[in-house]
Amino acid sequence: MSQRSERRGIHVDQSELLCKKGCGYYGNAAWQGLCSKCWREEYQRARQKQIQEDWELAEKLQREEDAAYASSHGSQPQPSLTPFSKFEEKKTNEKTRKVTTVKKFFSPSSRSTTKKEKERNEERERERERERGEKVQGRRESHGEMLLRDLKGIFTHSWEIGSPTEESHEAKSHSPSFVRQSSVETDQVAREFVDFLKSLKPGREIHKQSRAFVESMGNKKDLGADELSECVQDFYQHMSDRLLTHFKGSSEKVERVMDQVEKYIMTRLYKSVFCPETTDDEKKDLTTQHRIRALHWVTIQMLCVPVDEEIPEAADSVVKAITDVIEMDSKRVPRDKLACITSCSKHIFNAIKVTKKEPASADDFLPTLIYIVLKANPPRLQSNIQYITRFCNPSRLMSGEDGYYFTNLCCAVAFIEKLDAHSLNLSVEDFERHMCGGGDGGGSGDVSPRRRSESSSPWPLELLSALQERQQQVLEEARDLQDELQLWQEGVAREVQNILDKYPLEIKRHAAHTIDSENEENDRLPPPLQPQVFAG
Amino acid sequence: MSAMRIDAKVVMLGKESVGKTSLVERYVHHRFLVGPYQNTIGAAFVAKSISVGDKVITLGIWDTAGSERYEAMSRIYYRGARAAIVCYDLTDNSSFQRARFWVKELQTFEEHCKIYLCGTKNDLVEGDRSARQVDYHDVQDFVEEIGAQHFETSSKTGNNVDALFTKVAEDFSNSAFELLSAEEKGVNLDQKKNSYLYSCCHH
Repeated sequence: MSQRSERRGIHVDQSELLCKKGCGYYGNAAWQGLCSKCWREEYQRARQKQIQEDWELAEKLQREEDAAYASSHGSQPQPSLTPFSKFEEKKTNEKTRKVTTVKKFFSPSSRSTTKKEKERNEERERERERERGEKVQGRRESHGEMLLRDLKGIFTHSWEIGSPTEESHEAKSHSPSFVRQSSVETDQVAREFVDFLKSLKPGREIHKQSRAFVESMGNKKDLGADELSECVQDFYQHMSDRLLTHFKGSSEKVERVMDQVEKYIMTRLYKSVFCPETTDDEKKDLTTQHRIRALHWVTIQMLCVPVDEEIPEAADSVVKAITDVIEMDSKRVPRDKLACITSCSKHIFNAIKVTKKEPASADDFLPTLIYIVLKANPPRLQSNIQYITRFCNPSRLMSGEDGYYFTNLCCAVAFIEKLDAHSLNLSVEDFERHMCGGGDGGGSGDVSPRRRSESSSPWPLELLSALQERQQQVLEEARDLQDELQLWQEGVAREVQNILDKYPLEIKRHAAHTIDSENEENDRLPPPLQPQVFAG
Repeated sequence: MSAMRIDAKVVMLGKESVGKTSLVERYVHHRFLVGPYQNTIGAAFVAKSISVGDKVITLGIWDTAGSERYEAMSRIYYRGARAAIVCYDLTDNSSFQRARFWVKELQTFEEHCKIYLCGTKNDLVEGDRSARQVDYHDVQDFVEEIGAQHFETSSKTGNNVDALFTKVAEDFSNSAFELLSAEEKGVNLDQKKNSYLYSCCHH
């Protein structure tokens, strides 16, 4: 190496300056010794190949995804209780994660840009692609297609950085300017935050600190979820202390400011701190989801829920409550998530009130909430609970009304996890049978009952045995019908055979005749008419 | 309602149908449930302001489900509570045994939580002495032993109900300052890790 550079210093051979391909033009070290024309050709080829490979990879991923999706859906007996089952898949999340890993793997720029930027970048790209895709293909498109486009976008993007001269249209469209831009939602929240702070004296300071904090959080990727939570909680604490002491705000005012601060910070941090990879939140989500699915047979009566769904208003409230608890997953700010839980709870109270004609106590509320959670199977339930616990302003969570409902939700989840025969007033055998009847093997939780229920309430059992009887009956009848069909089929076949035997099909063989050979009276026919020519 | 600032969390514990909800209803709305009424949609959580001296303290009163099947979860409820009103039915001895269980739990897991034992349905006992199944002096001894407070109330007549909650608020007001400074010093990290709630009680 040193020898080479030495030589270079003294004398550079003409041949070394020329394009390696020998086309006669001068080459350039930046183009690996090729001239611009040859480099472009080479590069295009390599790039094409890479894109091809990436597409294949993406397609493979998509196929796997589809297969997993199909199998998970196919094997799953659709629980009759869950009208919202389409929401329960974590598909989107898994997909984005996959994209991220693939990106990490391929993108040479990942080291130079911070993860925060990258994430914003990705989001932005996805949005752009989605917009483009919507124009071209209409609105219905699979995640897989998006994934493919995402990948394409990334690779052209990274190539742009990798190659100093090459400019393609696609690469150009991914100009670095949008790296700085963040998603529409974040922008809007930031704007609102600034607007809100304008009216306050210490507004500028609050904004500066919040921004600095969000940026500093960008460098703390490697910390565990608990540490991240601690950082955020410390920040809340300092900020509210400062507001109280330095700026002499009243506690209500401080609370209002803190709500906005929380909104701003958590909207920005959401992507990186919601269900982080350092925790097993995702695994827990899946376990809970499977558990709830396996419990699809639990009825309102087993839980002693004081809600009569025959009453239209109560049924309506139940549906609204389910919608709210599902919607929680779509919110970014912990406070908004809490608001969803609160709204869900209010609907539950209404349903109970309509049924019982008296205000609900906790003895009514908790079972109903459990029932709602079982029915809704809210997506990423554990992640959401953990997220709220970690990043919500603690004063809200600990004692306020929102906190109360949130605590109840935690209880509901804990109950569902630990649920056994005893807690449903079922006998152990019945419980086991139900769990097996579920058939999808989702009952991974501890189903070992602690105690046999002494006072199993009689009527669900009666109902069940009645149902079982009826099912038996249906099965028997079905069998009878099958036998009958069999007999009928055999009967018909026999008859046909009989007739065939009786009147055997005889195909008379004829020698090949000329058309007229059978007409023996041919001779007696008059001769064919002859055309006559009339003159004139 | 949800914007209301809550100073202290007070949790109601007790077996099913000992009258937790009625107690809260009586205190907050000064009424006893005899027939259907429509004004409130839920009595599970109520916030009530009360003046103690020159301060106004807002109690957030948490009702809990008393059924045995939710026993395992009760710990989630009383986490961070400043006061627990443990109710038992004066006419039902088993409800007092359950009350003992909660007292023990609270002492083990929530040392900052003040305990108030509350015998409910006093009116039933006053009308008919033989209905009483839990002896006043037995409870008094137990209460002194654990350093708690003891009340016998009737939600029907309202007897002693206000006294109970006023005492809760006063005690909180007196202890708020020292408790706050005590907690600032040591934040219990272990507790937080295996809990759903961030157990931080700054106000």
